[in-house]
Amino acid sequence: MSSDVRFTDFKSDKQPTWCPGCGDFGTMNGMMKALAETGNDPDNTFVVAGIGCSGKIGTYMHSYALHGVHGRALPVGTGVKMARPDIEVMVAGGDGDGYSIGAGHFVHAVRRNVDMTYVVMDNRIYGLTKGQASPTSRSDFETSTTPEGPKQPPVNPLALALASGASFIAQSFASDALRHQEIVQQAIEHDGFGFVNVFSPCVTFNDVDTYDYFRDNLVDLEEAGHDPSDYEAAKGVILDSEKEYQGVMYQDENSVPYHEQHGVTENMSEIPDGAPEDAMDLVREFY
Amino acid sequence: MAEDLNWAVGGEAGDGIDSTGKIFAQALSRAGRHVFTSKDFASRIRGGYTAYKIRTSVDDVQSVVDRLDVLVALTQRTIDENLDELHEGSAVIYDGERSWEAEIPDEMTAVDVPLKSLAEEAGGAIMRNVVALGAACAIANFDVEYLDEALEKRFGGKGSKIVENNKAAARLGEEYVEENYDLDHLGYDLETTDNDYVLLNGNEAIGMGALAAGCRFYAGYPITPATTIMEYLTGRIEEYGGHVVQAEDELSAINMALGGARAGARSMTATSGAGIDLMTETFGLVATSETPMVICDVQRSGPSTGMPTKQEQGDLNMALYGGHGEVPRFVVAPTSITECFWKTIEAFNLAEKYQTPVFLISDLAMSVTEQTFPPEAFDMDAVEIDRGKLVDDDTVDEWLDEGGRFRAHAVTDDGVSPRAIPGTTDGAHMSTGLEHDELGRRTEDQDERVRQVDKRYRKVETAQEREDWEYREFGDPDADSLVISWGSNEGALVEALGYLEEDGIDVRVISVPYIFPRPDLTEEVEAADDVIVVECNATGQFADLIEHDTLTRVKRINKYTGVRFNADELAEEITDQLAAEVPAK
Ligand SMILES: Cc1ncc(C[n+]2csc(CCOP(=O)(O)OP(=O)(O)O)c2C)c(N)n1
Ligand code: SF4
Ligand SMILES: [Mg+2]
Repeated sequence: MSSDVRFTDFKSDKQPTWCPGCGDFGTMNGMMKALAETGNDPDNTFVVAGIGCSGKIGTYMHSYALHGVHGRALPVGTGVKMARPDIEVMVAGGDGDGYSIGAGHFVHAVRRNVDMTYVVMDNRIYGLTKGQASPTSRSDFETSTTPEGPKQPPVNPLALALASGASFIAQSFASDALRHQEIVQQAIEHDGFGFVNVFSPCVTFNDVDTYDYFRDNLVDLEEAGHDPSDYEAAKGVILDSEKEYQGVMYQDENSVPYHEQHGVTENMSEIPDGAPEDAMDLVREFY
Repeated sequence: MAEDLNWAVGGEAGDGIDSTGKIFAQALSRAGRHVFTSKDFASRIRGGYTAYKIRTSVDDVQSVVDRLDVLVALTQRTIDENLDELHEGSAVIYDGERSWEAEIPDEMTAVDVPLKSLAEEAGGAIMRNVVALGAACAIANFDVEYLDEALEKRFGGKGSKIVENNKAAARLGEEYVEENYDLDHLGYDLETTDNDYVLLNGNEAIGMGALAAGCRFYAGYPITPATTIMEYLTGRIEEYGGHVVQAEDELSAINMALGGARAGARSMTATSGAGIDLMTETFGLVATSETPMVICDVQRSGPSTGMPTKQEQGDLNMALYGGHGEVPRFVVAPTSITECFWKTIEAFNLAEKYQTPVFLISDLAMSVTEQTFPPEAFDMDAVEIDRGKLVDDDTVDEWLDEGGRFRAHAVTDDGVSPRAIPGTTDGAHMSTGLEHDELGRRTEDQDERVRQVDKRYRKVETAQEREDWEYREFGDPDADSLVISWGSNEGALVEALGYLEEDGIDVRVISVPYIFPRPDLTEEVEAADDVIVVECNATGQFADLIEHDTLTRVKRINKYTGVRFNADELAEEITDQLAAEVPAK
């Protein structure tokens, strides 16, 4: 790890094709700064991106990366980290990717507590497919496939994480650059699964969950004196549907990440030129 | 061929049939006898009929036959299920004290042993199956002491008292038969040898092959009959610094393995039935991102949940064509338990040399069959590892473009690009399921698209040139009749040759372990008067391929009852087919 890594080293030379003003710009900048700030460099970082406007982040960042199948980014990140505990793993995707098609994986990735960071770029809409309801869309949010709104409550991803046994739950806002970066940085530094739901507004298809809306309604937990190690207090803010919060809601200070629980510590890419030395013992077991 | 003995224990699922059979198989193996087992088990945990059959000989055995010499029947249904395999010389061990009235045809020898009472005498009714094993030893003139080591292996973890009780139970069974029956006229007398054999099934061979090949990461989701690969690796792979993770579903399992592989670990997943359908979603990504991975499909009867504990070779087309769009993959189908080991190792090498997913297709029959082999059949010194074009900090420079970017999908003469794994300085790059340029960046440029598609298929051409895609051959190479098979039917076919020879029929058998790429059989097919393709499915998926390759109509033997072929049954079917006309289609 070189100390002279700058956040721009994490930038690829591909120009983002996100709509001007899209929240994903800010989300990505904060992630790159957080990675650089925590002493990582592109050659020891693996980014797994979902499918969606958000998933394009894999192309715009420079690191080892996989841009996979819709909804399956977390399992890929899990595999990378298990095989290579020495590599920094960051998974990023949209609210549809993470809480709809990939919801099953989300629950289990949270439970497993693999030491990686999961950034969900939550714009409460399907951006890439041009504006259908997402699992976090409001129940009266009118879209091409839900003309009268979904008429079902949005998923509360923070509560879902809490119920799944999360060790780190946070929320940030793409346009509050400094706080967003700090929060992602805390997620990276967390020993375990660092989950950050980022309000990352879609300026093209969502005229409800806008920059103005979040600016007017966001309560910063740090300013409010919230103690993330207090589970009951965390439950309170997570289940509070009246307000929008930013900050670290919950952090289990005794979190033991998966690789420590399971003694998975080796760099699995290194293997001998032939069968392992004592491999005939495997055969003799069958006597 | 030396005299063989066909033995079975049968009862209800939950009666401990499997472990009883396994103990006897191990005892025979310790006595230097060859063993081939078959499990005819039901899908319910309790209530269904289940049996464990053993064929044993001092010679190699590779199939069961439709004959039973000694049967341990824990239920009447066991007898009824096996009536057509029992014969005049058969002995049936049963417990006359139990509530059911055993109906055993007069011409057979009924051996009534108070299994439960004797077991209680030895220390507990639970040991009644072991009493029956002792009784079976008496009938077969097989020294009961051979059971001891197997009993120690099975019960050692439960303490020496339990082991001693079981040994006593076996002896009570043996003594009871010796004192109350004179069965010498049956003529069973099991010879022993000094040979040391190992006894294992196909899934254990795949798991052991994976460890030998340096597989360090396995992700899977439990499904019969693939689970035992995962269970084998769990607890062993850690010894080599690896890990097994139970995923939340197969969608996740294949993606985890993909992550492990991109991180540079030799990674594998195994599944069956519906699991392979789920994995198909990600298969195209694995292939187009040029990720080396072994995907094992232990086939079972389909479609849908089908007959989940029954044999079938129905997934060949899925392996060849599954997934949308077009992308190359290798398909390898081991033809025997030893080949399960060697082909697994080869699969890992192919995957890394050509950065292409390899389908390793086994099947239920092979996964549950235990067979004896000399340990040298798994000679670890002969294992070769080839990691392909892996670059490191020193060699990565050759593959950077003028902007210093790593060309992970560089278009090369042989189609194979360099591979940099995380941690390699200057190797950082993205891989994607989107069509991409040499750097892995998305593109829809027409020329770039064509270059990348061609490059991926060029890897197959290269592999076709560089690797051996040979078939295995048995029988008479000059015979006019050619029988072609793939996968696990090989053993039964090889034994069928013996029966056919007795009837004066010469046959050449070609057993094909490579489905794609595969050997071209045009010459072999043209040289034969009759060509028969044998497989465990209804439609003849491999026969279709052979017809496609050779432009010749073939005869087909298809079995889709859910049970594998037996040697004697195959000999009969081949005889019938040789007399039949080639079907017009
Ligand atoms: C299996 C599958 N189904 C559907 C799609 C089409 N699709 C692409 S992105 C997407 C939803 C994207 O929404 P979200 O995850 O919120 O990402 P955003 O574009 O809003 O960033 C869908 C349905 C797909 N790529 N794969
Ligand atoms: S459609 Fe929405 S989410 Fe997608 S790039 Fe444009 S603003 Fe961003
Ligand atoms: Mg979205």
